[in-house]
Amino acid sequence: MRVWQPGSHLVSNRSTRVEDWSWAATKRRLTALYRLARPYRVRTTIAIISLLAATAASLAPPLLIGRAVDAVSGGHTGSLRLLVVLFIVASVVGTVCSYAQTYFTGWTGERMLADLRHHLFSHLQRLSLEFYEQNRAGVLISRLTNDVEALDELVTDGFTSLIQNTLTLLGAGVILLVLSWRLALAMMVVLPGLSVATAIFRKKSSRSYRGVRETLGAVTATLAEDIAGIRVLQAFTRERQARAHFREVGEAYRIKNQETVVQNALYFPAVDLLSSIATAIILGYGGYLVFDGQTKIGVLVAFLGYSANFFDPVQQLSQLYSTFLTAVAALDKIMEVLAAEPRVTDAPDATAIGRLRGEVRFRDVHFSYRRGAEVLHGIELDVPPGTTVALVGHTGAGKSTIAKLIARFYDPTSGAITIDGIDLRTVRQESLRRQLGIVPQEGFLFAGSLAANIAFGRPEASRAEILAAAAAVGVDEFVTTLPERYETELGERGYRLSLGQRQLVAFARALLADPRILILDEATSSVDIGAERRIEQALRRLLHGRTAFIIAHRLSTIRNANLILVLEEGRIVEQGSHDELLGRGGAYAELYGRRAAEVA
Amino acid sequence: MSPEGETPRNSATFWRLLRFLAPYRTSLAVSVVLALVSQSGSLAFPWLTGDVVSAIRDHRRNALPALIGVVLAVGATKALATIGRRLISGRQALGVELDLRNVLYAKFVRLSFGYFDRHQTGQLMSRATVDLQSVRFFLGYGLIFFFQHVFTVFGVGVLLFVISWKLALISLAFSPVLVAVAYRYSSVSHPVLRDVQQKMADVATVAEENIVGVHVVKSFAQEQAQQDKFEHRSEILFSRSLRANRQRAFYVPLLAFMPLLGQAAVLLVGGEMVRRGSLSLAHFVSFNLYLSMVVFPLRMLGMWIGEGQRATASGERIFQVIDEPEEITSRPAARTLPAGPGTVRFERVSFGYDPLLPVLHEIDLELTAGKIVALIGLTGSGKTTLASLIPRFYDVQKGSVKIDGADVREVTLESLRREIGVIAQDPFLFSASVRDNLVFGAAEATDVEVREAARLAQADEFVARLPEGYDTVIGERGVTLSGGQRQRLAIARALLVDPRILILDDATASVDAATESRIRLGLLEAMRGRTTVIIAHRLSTIALADEIVVLEHGRVAARGGHDELVGTSQVYREIYEHGSFDQPGRREVA
Repeated sequence: MRVWQPGSHLVSNRSTRVEDWSWAATKRRLTALYRLARPYRVRTTIAIISLLAATAASLAPPLLIGRAVDAVSGGHTGSLRLLVVLFIVASVVGTVCSYAQTYFTGWTGERMLADLRHHLFSHLQRLSLEFYEQNRAGVLISRLTNDVEALDELVTDGFTSLIQNTLTLLGAGVILLVLSWRLALAMMVVLPGLSVATAIFRKKSSRSYRGVRETLGAVTATLAEDIAGIRVLQAFTRERQARAHFREVGEAYRIKNQETVVQNALYFPAVDLLSSIATAIILGYGGYLVFDGQTKIGVLVAFLGYSANFFDPVQQLSQLYSTFLTAVAALDKIMEVLAAEPRVTDAPDATAIGRLRGEVRFRDVHFSYRRGAEVLHGIELDVPPGTTVALVGHTGAGKSTIAKLIARFYDPTSGAITIDGIDLRTVRQESLRRQLGIVPQEGFLFAGSLAANIAFGRPEASRAEILAAAAAVGVDEFVTTLPERYETELGERGYRLSLGQRQLVAFARALLADPRILILDEATSSVDIGAERRIEQALRRLLHGRTAFIIAHRLSTIRNANLILVLEEGRIVEQGSHDELLGRGGAYAELYGRRAAEVA
Repeated sequence: MSPEGETPRNSATFWRLLRFLAPYRTSLAVSVVLALVSQSGSLAFPWLTGDVVSAIRDHRRNALPALIGVVLAVGATKALATIGRRLISGRQALGVELDLRNVLYAKFVRLSFGYFDRHQTGQLMSRATVDLQSVRFFLGYGLIFFFQHVFTVFGVGVLLFVISWKLALISLAFSPVLVAVAYRYSSVSHPVLRDVQQKMADVATVAEENIVGVHVVKSFAQEQAQQDKFEHRSEILFSRSLRANRQRAFYVPLLAFMPLLGQAAVLLVGGEMVRRGSLSLAHFVSFNLYLSMVVFPLRMLGMWIGEGQRATASGERIFQVIDEPEEITSRPAARTLPAGPGTVRFERVSFGYDPLLPVLHEIDLELTAGKIVALIGLTGSGKTTLASLIPRFYDVQKGSVKIDGADVREVTLESLRREIGVIAQDPFLFSASVRDNLVFGAAEATDVEVREAARLAQADEFVARLPEGYDTVIGERGVTLSGGQRQRLAIARALLVDPRILILDDATASVDAATESRIRLGLLEAMRGRTTVIIAHRLSTIALADEIVVLEHGRVAARGGHDELVGTSQVYREIYEHGSFDQPGRREVA
């Protein structure tokens, strides 16, 4: 029934481990669930009432049938009619109530989960970039999908099943005790056996099923990866090994699954046998009770009917246990995300920043990531509006950290960053970022049309504006090769663009957003020769009239920059123009002078 | 309606699916017998209950122990038969699943590049997971259950008619309706549930891209828009789930209600018959018990018919993959690639991914053994296509590609590809350790060789800095590498194969200037003595080549050395002029 979801094999498996069983933690969980249910009090109440009524109605038929048997054997036609009428009434009530119960439980449950998803998503959106850098994407995706689904099972089925089965068990027990306490007690001797067998089975079986899930996950992951890498696989003639490996993985899964086959093959017939024993007790001991005039045949018939009401709920309830554990574990993980606080927040008195001129200053900026050594040591920087700044230096020198600080993805540990003289910590993040254009090294595409991807930063842009931006950076040149031009679906499940094309889309996106300050992580050469010229033109177009910070790799970009910052281990070691720096014969000359000579 | 479905084609698929059970004939037969035994046991219970009731009515106290003994014996036999049946059929189900999956996988690795160009990964994964699941569930468990239920329904029907055909007719009147409603529920709910799954996937997609692309969302301050998008998808999911919920709320109680009406009829009419003496009390009791026994199988019959149809449809899709012609395979008489220096000849080669839209036109080209050839040209000129004909990723439509005199179609694929190292522009690495990735094509390589290859590709330094060096797991589940690092590992991986011919789609992407020049030096050393084809995007790479081939619209527009081409080729000059923008030192030296 499930459809294949890209990346689903990456999402971590569900765990049933619950760390904290203290009352405080339990209270927190209940409060969280209560908060979710509170807006839907009326529906929840209707759901609960109809559940109770449906359960009660479902308890009636065996009793009525038993009574009917007695009425028939005693020849009481009149009471038989009455019983049949009651039987039909109970059936109708049960049917209507179970309709209402299913509908309202489903509605409330799904609504609560949708609310939870929205809340969680908006919370995730508020969290700072730091949070994302500390948590693996797969884990976070799992919170929004897997964990919410785990909770779904509890909210929509789990609670219902818990109440229904507990009541059925209790109700049937009471009815049986009232009908014939002797026979009831005699029949219940199978219960300890059933409980023990069920407990052992659940324990073993949940362990085995975890193994099955894990090994199946390995099968799926292997398959997904081998299909994605099929070209490499064939180019290196690894077919035979790959097949052998896949067989192994499949075999491991089969072996794990075989465990569950054996467990099921022993448990379910054992339960069946216990139920046969219960039948034997009812018929045997019950028969003698009838002989002795202590009970009636109808009671035996009712007992036979109710014995199923004992076996099913015990099994269902035990099954619920693992659903319950999984859901609690999921809830804990979701609550943990909800408890995380964004590190960068708008100050209460933050103001919206007006249209920027783009004068950027760093005053003695020090910075360290939360758990780590200082990565920037006292950066001083003055960038007049309209300057193109190239950041150069080795990996880890602090180039991208500086870029992230300008966008205020982080706040400096000490010192201050100002734009047009305004400290970034006093402005609203949104008003700042709306005037920034950030182009990452690998153009990221969202699922959606090409046009929507270009308009990402300004969804309200008109068609003409989108086309103009696309034309300005050269997207229009390759768009004719796309199946549906600007309406072509992109992203994971859509059309794949080449690296260079993605880059151009990212440029168009930035251009359309019309930023005052541009931050660009330059990709060196993910582009074709033909496209390269377009990129350069596009870049020139993009840089025009804006302050720009470029994490630069290409010599041409660096050379054309007004200001080059050479970074080494978190310090600006040199700054100036290309010619100045070459003339100085320092770090820059060593990095790029050599390269220029080497090209020959 | 039968599980074979309506059309003969479906029924052919169904029989073909059954063939997967052929190796398990014996165990299938044994489990059918055991299922018969245990279902007969179940059928005996209401009858025995009736006997007990009549014993009680007639005050035959002595008959009771024997009857109870029979109940226990039947219960025990049933349990044993079920244990045997479950063990055997469970084993068989897992076997069928394994077989199916292996067959499909083996097919996947034999399919050619063209097939994978035409099909998306997600689509193929769907075949191997969702469709396979549905087929194996039906073949593994479904058939046995189906058989069991049919047997129970049939057995109960016969017994009821034996007891009282009138009462049987009255009480079973609901059963065709029940089967029909169950079938209807199964068929209407399936698309809806599938739709719910699809919408769940949509929500997951938005969640995923917002988490993976969080920097873009934040950069453009689009949090609110994304929130709206997410909530929109999530609301759709909500409304679809509600639709599924409404179906469930309607059908499940309805399915439970219908048999209750039958039961009420039995109570009323049967009770009357007992009063008039045309039915015994014992039979009245048995009748009631039989009726409740048949409800579940009837519902399941309806469901299994639906399952069978879906399994057949899934089987159809799986067979589509299995029946796909393997375009590129070693010919039966293929020999191994003869030894040689690595001369590559294209003889009047024409090729198009779609034969109607040729990409290459009558290419005549010889690549000298041991030399470096740079293929250049604008996007769409056919550079990558031309290179991918050498390892026979595709077959030419006209002409031939020869390596050291042997047509690539005449030699075994394995011997051919073992002699060719391919480094793609955006190289794919597997979620495995760095070492496992490097020895991908050369499993027997020693650590010394691995290190040497990594050194040549300028990868040893950054690998040494990874948390566990060569044992670091990379890829989706491990350390994420930059494009430049992946590129270098791909170069090392290709070098370890020690190929005669090296194909490099040059994109020493995203590395800093110093590393880039070191990679070039490493490459020069690595290419020594091999015929190398570089699909060049930059002048710095072109500079490595002994010869340059300029492609234009699928034809060789010019070839020669740099000096020659600057004079003769307009296309080259254009590229060169433009490219030199990037390399200030180039012009003086050249």
